[in-house]
Parts: sequence; C-alpha cells; structure tokens
Amino acid sequence: MPHGDFHPVLFVIVAVWVLVCGVGVVAFRNIVHSAMAMVACFLGVAAVFVLLDAGLLAIIQILLYVGAISVVVLFAIMLTEQQHAKLGFFFNRQAIFALPLTVAAAVVITVILVTSKMPLNGSRSHNVSLVAIAGGLFNRYVFPFELVSFVLLAAMIGAIVLARKEDD
Amino acid sequence: MSAVDWYLTLATGLFCIGAYGVLARRNVILIVMSLELMLNAVNIALVAFADFLPGAAGRGTFFALFIITLAAAEVTVGLAIVVANYRYSRSVQADEFSEMKG
Repeated sequence: MPHGDFHPVLFVIVAVWVLVCGVGVVAFRNIVHSAMAMVACFLGVAAVFVLLDAGLLAIIQILLYVGAISVVVLFAIMLTEQQHAKLGFFFNRQAIFALPLTVAAAVVITVILVTSKMPLNGSRSHNVSLVAIAGGLFNRYVFPFELVSFVLLAAMIGAIVLARKEDD
Repeated sequence: MSAVDWYLTLATGLFCIGAYGVLARRNVILIVMSLELMLNAVNIALVAFADFLPGAAGRGTFFALFIITLAAAEVTVGLAIVVANYRYSRSVQADEFSEMKG
C-alpha cells in the first residue's frame, strides 16, 4: 500500500462504521448499548486517524477513549440507576426542535465546505515523525502542554472532591 | 471532491449526530457521551486540515492531543458531578434537575 494515499474503499467502510455506531449512541434505548456503540465508534475514529497517517493519535485514541473514558462512562452508568428511555423518545418534545436544528447545521456546514476557497492541497503533506511531535511538545507547545497538565491535576482533585461523601 | 472533503464530510456527519444526542436526549450520561462524539468529529477535521493545508503539516496532531487530554478531564469532572447529583436527587434525567429553578 503506497504511503499517504487516499483509499476510497477503506475510507467508505470506516466512515460508514463510524456513522452507524454514532447513530447507535444516540438511538439505543438501553444506555449500556449506547456505551458499547460509543466504544465501537471510537475504534472507528482510531481507524480514521490511521487512514490520515496519524498513527500516534490512533494509539492515543485507543488508549484514552477506548480504554479509559469508556470505563469511566460505564462506571458512571453502574453507579446510577437507569430507567430505559421511553419508546417514543426519538421524536419527543425536544427532538422536534433538535432534529431540524441538527439537519440545518449539517446543511450549512456542507454548503460552506463546498463553496469555500481554501488552499487545500490535492495531495497530503508529509507525516510528522514521533521525534518531531516530542520536540514540538517540549519546545513550541510547552506552554499549552504545562497548562493542560495543570488542568488535568485540577480535574483529578475536582473529581475526588465531588465524589467524596459529605459527612466529614 | 478531493480526499479532504470526504474526511470533512465524515466529521460533519459525526458532529451533527453528537449535536442531536446533546439536544434531544435527557439522560445526562448520554449527553456526555454525545459530547465526546462531537469532540472526536472535531479531532478528525483538525487532523484532516493539518494534512491537506499547505504549511500546516503536523499541527493537527498537537491540537488533537490537547483536545483528547481536555476531553478526558471534562469526562472525569462531568461524570463526577452526575454521580454526586444522583446521590442527592436519585435521578440522571436532565429535566428533573430543577432544584435551582426560581
């Protein structure tokens, strides 16, 4: 397989997989099924990253989303009592407004996409190496890197404080 | 349509599916999951742009890395709030959180 080419067949398979799983997330009545569809969708997005020549992101996607975030979501589902969504939920009161809004947003974005005059290459630029990513993180992007680590620390402390029992 | 348009169309589709989930569903955990779908769609768009815009090679990886990290923080805090609120109100339905309503 030549490096960095666009593979229509592979892309269509992965894209249909991602979109079908995404619809599954919002359409399943049982929330555990939704969570499983979300995991499958994240795997599909990792495959999209592979197609886009971003192997490191694909690995991080699988580690963080498929591994960690889905586990957190499943824990939250288990810690709370779930009632199944009512049968007519897909077209409930909110959906009457949500569906046209969403479709309108999709149409607007697509129109902008088609009519835009961005200087996009027909072929892609070269993939960045792992060394370049590491160098970028600790040179050019060192401030956002430190900021993000601080946010992570704050989130960790915040989650502990929120989840603690209130009797002390 | 060039290759980048296909990726951006996929990102648009995934983003709008997530937006529908956020707007239409009532379960707060499902709203958080739909938010994750939207963030993933944005990541796809960023990486695709970085691949096809001249002079932007590799930038998308950094952007997506920071978004993934912040998404992890967001999920942790969001679900901690959901669980803490569940202990208080015994519900995860968004329309039953009316304690602060005047």
